Amino acid sequence: MARIELCNLTKSFGAVVAVKTLNITIEDGEFVVFVGPSGCGKTTTLRMIAGFEDPTSGEIRIGDRVVNDLEPRDRGLGMVFQTHALFPHKTIRQNIEFGLRMKKVPPAERAQRVREVAEMVHISHLLDKMPAQCSGGETQRVALARTLVTNPSTFLLDEPLSSLDAKLRRELRAECDRLHEALKRTFIYVTHDQEEAMTLADRIVVMRAGEIVQTGSPMEIYSNPVNYFVADFFGSPSMNLVAGEVLQESSASRFRSARFEVALPKHFRTAKPGATTLGIRPEHVAVTRDGKGDVELPVRLVEPLGKDTLLYFDSGTERAFVAVTEGLDMADIKVGERIALSLDQRRIYLFDDKGQRIGNAK
Amino acid sequence: MRKSQRRRLSAVLRYVVLSLWTLVAFFPIYWMVSTSFKPDTQWFSWPPVYFPDPPTLSNYLNVWFGAEEYTTTQYSISSQKPFISLGNSTVIASISTFLAVLFGSVIAYGVSRYRILSEVRMFQLLMLRMIPPIVVVAPLSLYYSAIGLLDTMTGLIMIYFITSLPYAVWMMKSFIDEVPREIEQAAEILGASRWRTVFEIVLPLVRSGLVATFLFILILTWSEYLLALIITKTQVSTLPIELSKYQGSTEGRVYGRQAALAVGITIPLMIAGLIIRKHLARGFSFGMVRR
Repeated sequence: MARIELCNLTKSFGAVVAVKTLNITIEDGEFVVFVGPSGCGKTTTLRMIAGFEDPTSGEIRIGDRVVNDLEPRDRGLGMVFQTHALFPHKTIRQNIEFGLRMKKVPPAERAQRVREVAEMVHISHLLDKMPAQCSGGETQRVALARTLVTNPSTFLLDEPLSSLDAKLRRELRAECDRLHEALKRTFIYVTHDQEEAMTLADRIVVMRAGEIVQTGSPMEIYSNPVNYFVADFFGSPSMNLVAGEVLQESSASRFRSARFEVALPKHFRTAKPGATTLGIRPEHVAVTRDGKGDVELPVRLVEPLGKDTLLYFDSGTERAFVAVTEGLDMADIKVGERIALSLDQRRIYLFDDKGQRIGNAK
Repeated sequence: MRKSQRRRLSAVLRYVVLSLWTLVAFFPIYWMVSTSFKPDTQWFSWPPVYFPDPPTLSNYLNVWFGAEEYTTTQYSISSQKPFISLGNSTVIASISTFLAVLFGSVIAYGVSRYRILSEVRMFQLLMLRMIPPIVVVAPLSLYYSAIGLLDTMTGLIMIYFITSLPYAVWMMKSFIDEVPREIEQAAEILGASRWRTVFEIVLPLVRSGLVATFLFILILTWSEYLLALIITKTQVSTLPIELSKYQGSTEGRVYGRQAALAVGITIPLMIAGLIIRKHLARGFSFGMVRR
């Protein structure tokens, strides 16, 4: 049983509060991803769960036990580190069997289990090599195997893929997902990469400045961001966020910014007039070449990616207004050309001057 | 000038400078070895004799085995006991070095991982080494005589241990700092106790550093002269003290014998260096190369 509860968990380093009264329950078998920018407290939280940092206040429960005072080795957890942290003076085989040796597993059983996990993560051919002879992807697999072999109730993964190139990252992401499916164990994964969080998580915990900003399934986080920060953090390319103001007129609500003015859907009738930010994801902006649309903006840059084409428009601010179009039909658009854009009314978000979401875009 | 030519020229210059430097560094060693094989007529001859002609072993036989080839008082050295001194030096230097490296490593681990000493305290520790020995040696000898440590091996071992501890702490700390904390934490979460982690993970990783520190301190204690001169009298004589006897007012300058003794003093260190050269190269370059 590996239900993990963090109750009012706080960690301070001198005057700096790294984690502020965190409360969350991670269910048995769940794949939870803590995500946020550098310094948001996600790694500190993971290290407190592992037992490498003592909480300043609050409780950590694993199952029914409070584990605050337990040594890392007594918590029944496994951890994969950002740097993989293999023992450089031991062979891959010795690295993997280290945990079993510490648990005094007999040699024959040790050898058998090392073989099994090595096959599971496809590293059987590396067993007699030294870590320095392995590539980045291979050391990552070894680090996973070393944790797997001890059969922990929960896997803690601290940005395990951040040192790998994009292709390997995708490959190993799939590997993590496969292992989670196969093992049915709890996985707590820390990353600053929103794409990793979106593809891996059953539930995402978004953190910022030591606090949880939002928790939810990847789709909830993507479609219903609670504030400007979450809206901006998730999605690639990220959400278009245009500063402007809401105007409440007798007939309808409107949004006006330096370069454009659009009518707002009905559910924003109650929005207070004044400074507001409008948000819309690039895939919800339709590009038309017949001149009919909500706004017309000049093109700043065209990025043909093959499968899609990204169009960057000048919205009067430093940040470009982006639209995604399928295929390469729009790849011939010239920089400076004025193009009409239609915004999907159901997908418009508004954020108040404090960055909090206004209304519900349903 | 083309880039490839410039690169070749800079390589040539580098080798010329390094070769010259090697020559400067090795010349005294060559001179010592060469003099040890020279007959007495060539010790002071001008122009200097670079190659002993004919080479002789008499200096070695005289110094190390007491063979009296010359009967004139000019060449007789009073009470030479080079093998006893060699034994003393070996015991004193190796025990004090072992203790300094052992305690130094433990303190360094504490500083590196648990910050048991602040940066200020660490500098104060190094400052201990900055005090010129001549300042403390007089009061120390009085103190030692009061507690019965004067002219004893224990007395010399203690003072060598204390004076080389700062080096051991500083050197070992830099080696331990190089071991990523995460490697230890990985061992801990896999079930290793703190001590197990230190012995099975940290120590093997800093082995080269340990060896480099050991040899560095061994050289210091092996060749220490001033403290040994003042706080030992007749019972415990070390090799540097023995060496100085060949340049005294009664004996004159007996260069050939002195060189023969000096070669004998140097050889044990060279053997130690050769045995552990693999670790030394790694130890002294530790931290200079990004791994």
